[in-house]
Amino acid sequence: MGATLIDGKAIAAAMQARTRAEAEALAADGWMPRLVSVSVGDVAAAELYVRNQRRHASAAGVEFEERNYPGTTSLEQLSGILAGLNADPRVHGIIIQRPLPGHIPVKALQTAIHPLKDVEGMHPASIGKIVYNDLGLGPCTAVAAVEILKSLPLTVEGLDVCVIGHSEIVGKPIAFLMMGLGATVTVCHHMTRQVAVHSRAADAVFVAVGRPGLVTGSMLKPGAALIDIGINRVTDADGGMRTVGDADFDSCAAVAGWITPVPGGVGPVTVAVLMQNAVSATAAQRAQYRAAFAAVD
Amino acid sequence: MTARVIDGKAFAARIREEVAGHVARLRAGHGIQPGLAVVLVGEDPASQVYVGSKGKQTVEAGMASFEHKLPAETTEKDLLAVIDRLNADPKVHGILVQLPLPSHLDSDLVINRIDPAKDVDGFHISNVGLLGTGQKSMVPCTPLGCLMLLRDLHGSLAGMNAVVVGRSNIVGKPMAQLLLGDSATVTIAHSRTKDLASVCRGADILVAAVGRPEMIPGDWVKPGATVIDVGINRITTPEGKTRLVGDVDYASAAEVAGAITPVPGGVGPMTIACLLANTLTAACRANSLPEPEGLTA
Repeated sequence: MGATLIDGKAIAAAMQARTRAEAEALAADGWMPRLVSVSVGDVAAAELYVRNQRRHASAAGVEFEERNYPGTTSLEQLSGILAGLNADPRVHGIIIQRPLPGHIPVKALQTAIHPLKDVEGMHPASIGKIVYNDLGLGPCTAVAAVEILKSLPLTVEGLDVCVIGHSEIVGKPIAFLMMGLGATVTVCHHMTRQVAVHSRAADAVFVAVGRPGLVTGSMLKPGAALIDIGINRVTDADGGMRTVGDADFDSCAAVAGWITPVPGGVGPVTVAVLMQNAVSATAAQRAQYRAAFAAVD
Repeated sequence: MTARVIDGKAFAARIREEVAGHVARLRAGHGIQPGLAVVLVGEDPASQVYVGSKGKQTVEAGMASFEHKLPAETTEKDLLAVIDRLNADPKVHGILVQLPLPSHLDSDLVINRIDPAKDVDGFHISNVGLLGTGQKSMVPCTPLGCLMLLRDLHGSLAGMNAVVVGRSNIVGKPMAQLLLGDSATVTIAHSRTKDLASVCRGADILVAAVGRPEMIPGDWVKPGATVIDVGINRITTPEGKTRLVGDVDYASAAEVAGAITPVPGGVGPMTIACLLANTLTAACRANSLPEPEGLTA
């Protein structure tokens, strides 16, 4: 293989060290960052994620509280619960675990979170700020993918970037984040006629579609960076299960200059971004508190 | 080949007529008269002309027009109080603050004070984020006008290669979102783009919104492409007269393109027509009535 393997765990560890230092400074000032995870109904489905978040929170010096509500909880009740968390000064960030029961529209909950506590970066105001190139709390996966690209020895300004997949929480925010950094971005999706025409012209390719083997080596420009955001469970020939990305790893690794593995690429950085958001959110709430109540310095 | 000239003036007149028809039905059937409030601070002559023609067209469409002309020295506090009053006024469905504001006023703060549901310019950070996440929003008028022209010409834009030149908050970025929303493959090019000519040559739809007179020559246009020229630049001719030109060199581009908007008379007239359409849409949403089709994204 020709490509350099990108070590997501190492990038995440470096971010976590910085986050921890900031969290400790905030805690020393009486502002211990605290996340509340809200899950509704079937707890088992999200358990793996929640456990992972709890572990990383602990490592980053962030408090983590889990709240589970019965699957019969109504949207009105959940909105009330979120209003309470919004108002609670001891809570700095709110995570909505998915999946949610069918009667709860996820967008309604994401919009009900106060933008200052939106550590998942899903509130329209958070997305709006990204579009306006004023990154506050960004969607974790998109920010993680961009952080990885920024860690490479590439000049982002003027870089030709191809984003495959135009989801609202990954593809589109990546496109706007990269554009804000000065890249020329093309967004491809299921209606694009010839994805390869666009991807082959790109210095960096982000793929976030959820289809194993979608990107092959022949679709890449030699030496390009490939950031694979897909997470797919596939069955091997011998019947075992394993996790793969959207790229056909072997053929892509032969052509690319850099490539993220799956697992171990974007995934670990995503949780690190969540913790970074928790700390940023806490700092922003401290600033807002001071502006409102502690003007007499 | 000579391009078909897109008559924005005639199309805008058709949109205004359509809006007027809906307004008449709203008034007769529901007793609702959509209302647009325009806030102008100071005496910028160009702004006064705009505000005058907006008011005139609002009334012609059968809507109520409220003009708030405030002195240039208006304080932030007083301006915000006017916005708050308009937010609360049930007769006002759309609020537009004429930009630019005098330099002592923070336009972001003022725009974000507008109730997003009444933000008919579509500049409120929540509307930007709602558009970015594919949710119902108020869409900025100029890109909405471009989208209407494109849909009228092509029907479906799915799979077409669209290139937007310029990444401004008021045109380039929302235009890219709208084109993605209609399933075009979108590239956003700008001043940092390495090879702008070749990027443009790949476009089935080329939208120019940079504000640089005639910077895009005909040989950057793919034969048969649709060219939407958003630029309005005043230049001085060798004879010492001034005239308006777009961002595209019209004469050479019209030789190659399949269809092209002239400047003036192309995109320009669509902007106010879309402002009226947005006000109508806002009035329908405010009253939980179905919104008219084809007048928003």
